[in-house]
Amino acid sequence: MMRRRAWITFCLAALCFGFLPALIRSEYFLNLFLMFFLYVTVAQSWNLLGGFTGQISLGHSAFFGTGALITRLIWTAGVPIVPALIAGSLSSVVLALLVGVPCLRMRSAYFPIGTLALAMIAQITVANLFPLPGSLSRGYLTGYSMLSRYYLALLVAMLTVAVVYWIVRSRTGLALVGIRDDEAAAEAMGVRTFKHKVFALMVSSWLVGLGGGIFAYHQVSYYYSAPFELSWSFLPTLTTFIGGLGTIAGPILGAACFLGLSEIFAISLGEVHLVVFAFTFILVVLFVPGGLMSISTKIRSLTARIARRATRV
Amino acid sequence: MGQTLVYGVLNGALYGIIALGIALVFGVMRYLNLAQGSLIILGAYGILFLFHLGVDPFASMPLIAFLLFLLGGALFWASFSRLIALSEAGRIKNSLLISFGLMLLIDNLATLLWTGDERSITPAYSGLTFGIAGLRFPLIGCVGVLSALVIIVALHLFLARTYFGKSIMAVSQDHEAASLMGVNVNLTCLVSFAISVGLASIPSALIGLKSFSPTVGIQWFNKGVIVVMLSGIGNINGVFPAGLFLGIMEAISVYFFGAPYREVTGLVVFVLVMVLFPKGLFKRQEL
Amino acid sequence: MMLRVEHVDVRYGDLQVLWDVDLEVRQGEIVALVGSNGAGKSTLIRTIAGLVKPSGGTIHYGDALLNDKPPHTIAASGISMVPEGRRLFPKMTVLQNLEMGAFLRKARPQKETTLDWVYEIFPILRKRSHQPAGLLSGGEQQMLAIGRALMGRNDFLLLDELSLGLSPLLVKQIFDVLVTINKAGITLFIVEQNVPMTLKIANRAYILETGRIVGEGVARELMESEHVKAAYLGMA
Ligand SMILES: Nc1ncnc2c1ncn2[C@@H]1O[C@H](COP(=O)(O)OP(=O)(O)OP(=O)(O)O)[C@@H](O)[C@H]1O
Ligand SMILES: [Mg+2]
Repeated sequence: MMRRRAWITFCLAALCFGFLPALIRSEYFLNLFLMFFLYVTVAQSWNLLGGFTGQISLGHSAFFGTGALITRLIWTAGVPIVPALIAGSLSSVVLALLVGVPCLRMRSAYFPIGTLALAMIAQITVANLFPLPGSLSRGYLTGYSMLSRYYLALLVAMLTVAVVYWIVRSRTGLALVGIRDDEAAAEAMGVRTFKHKVFALMVSSWLVGLGGGIFAYHQVSYYYSAPFELSWSFLPTLTTFIGGLGTIAGPILGAACFLGLSEIFAISLGEVHLVVFAFTFILVVLFVPGGLMSISTKIRSLTARIARRATRV
Repeated sequence: MGQTLVYGVLNGALYGIIALGIALVFGVMRYLNLAQGSLIILGAYGILFLFHLGVDPFASMPLIAFLLFLLGGALFWASFSRLIALSEAGRIKNSLLISFGLMLLIDNLATLLWTGDERSITPAYSGLTFGIAGLRFPLIGCVGVLSALVIIVALHLFLARTYFGKSIMAVSQDHEAASLMGVNVNLTCLVSFAISVGLASIPSALIGLKSFSPTVGIQWFNKGVIVVMLSGIGNINGVFPAGLFLGIMEAISVYFFGAPYREVTGLVVFVLVMVLFPKGLFKRQEL
Repeated sequence: MMLRVEHVDVRYGDLQVLWDVDLEVRQGEIVALVGSNGAGKSTLIRTIAGLVKPSGGTIHYGDALLNDKPPHTIAASGISMVPEGRRLFPKMTVLQNLEMGAFLRKARPQKETTLDWVYEIFPILRKRSHQPAGLLSGGEQQMLAIGRALMGRNDFLLLDELSLGLSPLLVKQIFDVLVTINKAGITLFIVEQNVPMTLKIANRAYILETGRIVGEGVARELMESEHVKAAYLGMA
C-alpha cells in the first residue's frame, strides 16, 4: 500500500520533471530546477547517514568536492561525461573509506567535528593545489546544452531518492535506524554497527559524489575549491533538519524551501535566506525535532480529528 | 627558525585563550560551542565600531567582555539551557547542532551588517615590534601572551578559591550531587556559559588587530577545539601549554612546507589524535 | 510532623514506578524503607530530594510544599541526602568534598566546627583529607558521602543503600554512626536492603513492593511479622 503510493509519486514526479522542459523554455527556470535536483541529491544522501543512521556529518563538502574535482578533470580530459561521473563519484567513496571511516571510529558525538576538520583540510589543500579557476575550453562551450545537464541532474536526484528509499526499507535500513536510536542496544541485538555505519557512509558519499559531478558538468567556470566550500556541508544539514530528519520527503521539502527562499531574497538582499534558515534550524532542533514533515503530519491528524468530530455531529 | 618559533609561541598563546572558553563549557556541561569563533568575530566588530569612535581596542575590551557575557547568558537562557537534562552524548550532539545554527546566524548577520570585506583595527601601535637577542617581537603578540597568562591564572583562582568557582567544578564532576549540596545547577551553567562567551572578548581584540571577516570564526573555533582536545577535555590548566604546542607545531610546519599549509597542520594532528585515541584524549580529565 | 508524603505517584515517561505512596517521618525519628530490588525505593528518596518530580500527590516538609522545588532549594530548606552509589566529586580531595558539603549559606559560617565534628565521627577522613575522593576505598567513600551530607548542617538526612558493597563489620560501624548522628538531633530516613540491621536501629519502617507501600509499623513489631520474616529476613 505504502510502497505503491511511493511508486506512483515517484513515477509522477519523474514524468512531470521529465516533460517540464517541453513547457518551460526559460533558461532561468531550468537552472533553478537543476539546482533543486542538486540540492535534493546532496540533502538526501546526507540524510541516509545523518537522518537515518544518526551520524551527523559536517564533512560532506569534502565528498561533494572530490566528486566534482575528479569528474571535471576526467571529463575535460576528453572522456564522456557518464564514465567521468562514475569515476568521480567512486573517488568520493575512496576518500570516504580512507578518511571518513576513521572518523566513524570516534565516539559518535564527536563525528561532526571530526568530519568538519576533514572538510577544512580538503578545502585548504585543494585551494592550494589548484589556485586558478577552471574554465571550459571553447570546444566544450560550443557543445554546451542545458537540457543534457537538466536531465542528468534529474536522473541523479531520482537515483538518490530511490536508493535511499530502497535501503531504508530494507533490513539494512532497520539496522541503521536501530543504530541511530540506540547504538548500544543495536549492538546488543547483534547488529554489526560499525559495518553498517561504514556502509551508510559509503553509499552517502557515492551519491553526494554524483552530485558533485553534476556541479562540475553544469558550471562553466569556477575555482576548483568552490565545491569544497563548507557551505556544501552546511546546506544538507540545514535543509534536512528543517524538512524532516530521517524521512524521505523531508530533504526534498527542505531543499525546495531553501531554494525558494534564496530566490525570493536574492533579488533584494544577499544573505537573508541563510539568516532565516539558520534561525529556523535552531528552532527546529530545539522544539520540532521532526521538522516540517512532523508539522504536516500533526496538521493532518488534527484536520482528520476535526473532520471526524464534524461528521459525528 | 628562531623567528618562526617566536611567532609560533605568540600564535599559540592566542589559541590557548580561544580554547579557554570552549574548554570551560565543555568541561562543565559537555556543550560543544561551535559558535565560539563567530562570537569572537562579533566581538571584534564591536571593538572596531568603538575604535572608529576613538576608543582604544584594549580600553574597549572590558565593555565588549561585559556585552558578550550578557549575550552568552541570554543565549543560554533562550536555547542551551534546554539541553541540561539530556545524556552526555545528547548534550554534545545537540549543543553542537544549536551552536552550528547560531554560527551561521551570526556569520550571515555580520555579513549583512558589515559586508564580507576583510577588516582590521589599526591603532598607531599596531605594527610596533621590538628586538631582543636578534629576534623581533611584535608588541601586540606579546600583549596577547601576557593577557593569556593573566586570564588563565585568574580563571584558575576563580575556580579554585571562590564558592561560585567551586560550584562550577562540582557541577562539572557530578551535577546531580552538586544540586544535592545546594548548588543551583541551572544558574551555575548559565554563568559559566556567559563567562565563556565573555572570555571571547580577549581573542576579539587580538584577532581584530590582525584581520577578520564574517566567515573566519569557524577557523578560529577549530584552533580552539584542537587545543582543547590536545590538553585533555576539561583540563583548564593544560590549555595554555597545549596552545603553545599547536602554535609551535604550526610554525615548524610553515618552516618546512610553506605558509599555505599552516592551517592543515593542526587539523591533521586533530584527526590523527581522534583516530588513534578515539576515547583516550577525549576521556574525562580534570575539572 | 517533619516530612509528609501523600498520594505520591511517580513515572518515568510512560512507565509508572510509584503508586499512591503515603508516609510520614516525625522529628527525631529513624524511619526505614525496605523493599526488594526495583521496588522504587531510590525513586521515592530521589523524589523527596527533588531529583525526580512526582506526577501526582504532595510532599510537605514542615509547612513547605516540596513538589515543584528544585533540589538545591530543597537542600536549603533542610533536607540532605546521601545518594545511592555515593556520588562523590571524584577529582576533588576529601577536604574539598567536605567543603562542597558546606556550600549552603547557613552551613558556611560553621564550616570549621562541623568539619571537626565530622572528623571526630570518621577519624580516617582526617588522615585522607588531601587524597582525591576517587581513590578512596569503598568504605572510606561511604564515610565521606555521609560526612559530606553532615557538612550541610541540615536536620533531616535521606540515606540510600549505605551498606551496598561493604563488609559486615563496616556496615555495623556505619550503623553505629547513624545512631550517634540521630542522637545529635538529626532525623533519618533510611533506604536499605540489609533489613535485619536496619530494623534494629529504626523506630518505624515502611515496606515498599513494586511501587506500593504494603506495610508499615513499629520496627520491632515488623521484625516479628510473618511476611517480613519470609520475604526479607530469610526465615521461612
Ligand atoms: N531514570 C529512570 N528511567 C526509567 N526507569 C527507571 C529510572 N530509574 C529507575 N527506573 C525504574 O524504576 C524502577 C524502580 O527503580 P529504583 O531505582 O527506584 O528501585 P530500587 O528500589 O531503588 O532498587 P535497588 O534496590 O536495586 O536500588 C525500576 O524498575 C527501574 O528500572
Ligand atoms: Mg535503589
